[in-house]
Amino acid sequence: MRSLVLRIVKQMLHDKRSLALILFAPLLILTLLYFLLGTSSYQPVIAAQKLPEPILSQLEKQDIVLIRADDITDIDQYLKEKHADAVLSMSGSELSIQMLEGDSIKTVKVTDAVKNAMQAVSGQSQMKVTFVYGDTNTSTFDSLGFMLLGILSFFFVFMISGVSFVRERTSGTLERLMLTPIRRSSVVLGYTMGFGLFAALQSVLVVLFTKFVLHMEFNGSWWLVLLTMLLLAFVAVSLGTFVSIFANNEFQVVQFIPIIIIPQIFFAGIIPIDTLPFGLSILAYIMPVYYGSMGLKEVLVYGNAFSGIWWYLLMLCGFIIALFFANILALKKYRAL
Amino acid sequence: MKLEIQDVSKSFQGKIALSHVSLSVQSGELLCLLGPSGAGKTTLIRLITGAIRADGGEIKIEGKRIPAMSILGQMGFMPQNDALYTDISGLDNVKFFGRLYGMRGNVLNRRAAEILRLMGLEEEQNKLVAHYSGGMKKRLSLAIALLHKPEILVLDEPTVGIDPVLRQAIWQEFFTLKNKGVTILVSTHVMDEAAKCETAALLYNGKLIAHGTVPELLNRTPNGNVEELFFMVEEDAL
Repeated sequence: MRSLVLRIVKQMLHDKRSLALILFAPLLILTLLYFLLGTSSYQPVIAAQKLPEPILSQLEKQDIVLIRADDITDIDQYLKEKHADAVLSMSGSELSIQMLEGDSIKTVKVTDAVKNAMQAVSGQSQMKVTFVYGDTNTSTFDSLGFMLLGILSFFFVFMISGVSFVRERTSGTLERLMLTPIRRSSVVLGYTMGFGLFAALQSVLVVLFTKFVLHMEFNGSWWLVLLTMLLLAFVAVSLGTFVSIFANNEFQVVQFIPIIIIPQIFFAGIIPIDTLPFGLSILAYIMPVYYGSMGLKEVLVYGNAFSGIWWYLLMLCGFIIALFFANILALKKYRAL
Repeated sequence: MKLEIQDVSKSFQGKIALSHVSLSVQSGELLCLLGPSGAGKTTLIRLITGAIRADGGEIKIEGKRIPAMSILGQMGFMPQNDALYTDISGLDNVKFFGRLYGMRGNVLNRRAAEILRLMGLEEEQNKLVAHYSGGMKKRLSLAIALLHKPEILVLDEPTVGIDPVLRQAIWQEFFTLKNKGVTILVSTHVMDEAAKCETAALLYNGKLIAHGTVPELLNRTPNGNVEELFFMVEEDAL
């Protein structure tokens, strides 16, 4: 088993591209998403229509561009022509914010500014937000970060371990390996540990990077985040290996991505699964990424401790163990014993 | 080690690859498996190594029914393709397989150096296998098969793509091993190699057509050359 791990390490160190893919590609994509979805210095343009003076003066103190536009006749048209990101008006005693669409960053910035102004005036912040297109769904890097961490690391580890294992088969080295007196369990363990090592390194890098470079908000302890990431990465290694047994070449491993990876993205927290129709939510329970990202969400967003996520971690361990035995069985294909 | 093949059959998805093959190879015998591509040579070799199970019949090595874990450690196998890790060095390949055969430390280091020298790879041993030529890869593959001093050697077309001088040297090594009592099974479709074997088994369409010493088999041909053997197999004239 140790010789297998050692060999995989040596191979990976020579394969600089795969190494870069597993270690740095997730960081690169996280950074990109951070800028795409995250905090930006953008100042939203807010048009105020017939608002009381105290609110106006408080709004002017916010980090926005304020236009006094008492003469708007058609608010929808005004927004469509992009004169402003939002139009504020009074409907009865309630403040109404109207925006073109539920754009994550602008929505958050506008509502935050208005909330602050309202609170400064009256101590309360009742308002109604409506959009020309879409609804009040907001998504930012911080609120979806948990999901990105899980799915990104899972994806890259799955790819590398799947392709490497299929290469081991197509090159004939697996059959040769299986004709030495090595136990099947040692082969699976060696593979899991060998790639697991790089997967673990990736998890550490991703966690440190998101915490210290991207300053993602960690409401819970970082070691619980790391633990969840590690378990998820090990599931990815085992799943990659398992899937590659059913693939005849590298391209066929890639073909598993739409089947194995993409559905998991949808069940990783992008869509609240309890809103899914036809009992589809039950599918989430067979998806490792679901447990991984729910665990990460509990820690990162809700700040829960181990007691809050042990169930998710247990399920991830279950996947690792089940896949371990499935892989041992599947290897029978390459040696009759 | 004595190899006994009794009434072995194997088919893949309904297509018969081997049909009722019986054959025995004595300790220290060098047997050539001859036959055109698709005759069933590789299937028979995979059955002997235990990579696959026969549908019917049985294979025994030293009285042990194959597949058997205890035989794997004493068997050297060289597959038709190179089956090497190209992104590590030749020496690392040899050492990796050595460890799988339970070799460790100085024993492994000495034997690895010895076998790489024998195969003429001493100077290139630290190069990545990806940078090896076709012949070098073949030699490395053979080095791995011989590394743990197996008592039975199963070689699937070992000298394809190797230059004549080296081929001569490799065959010399086979004879040396044979004289030490190693049982050797070599599959080949190279004519002049068949002539070097002590005994030969001819396979065609999954059937064992003929089995005997090479001179015996050649006596059945009009002019006594190996090429004729192959033609006669095709024409079903043996």
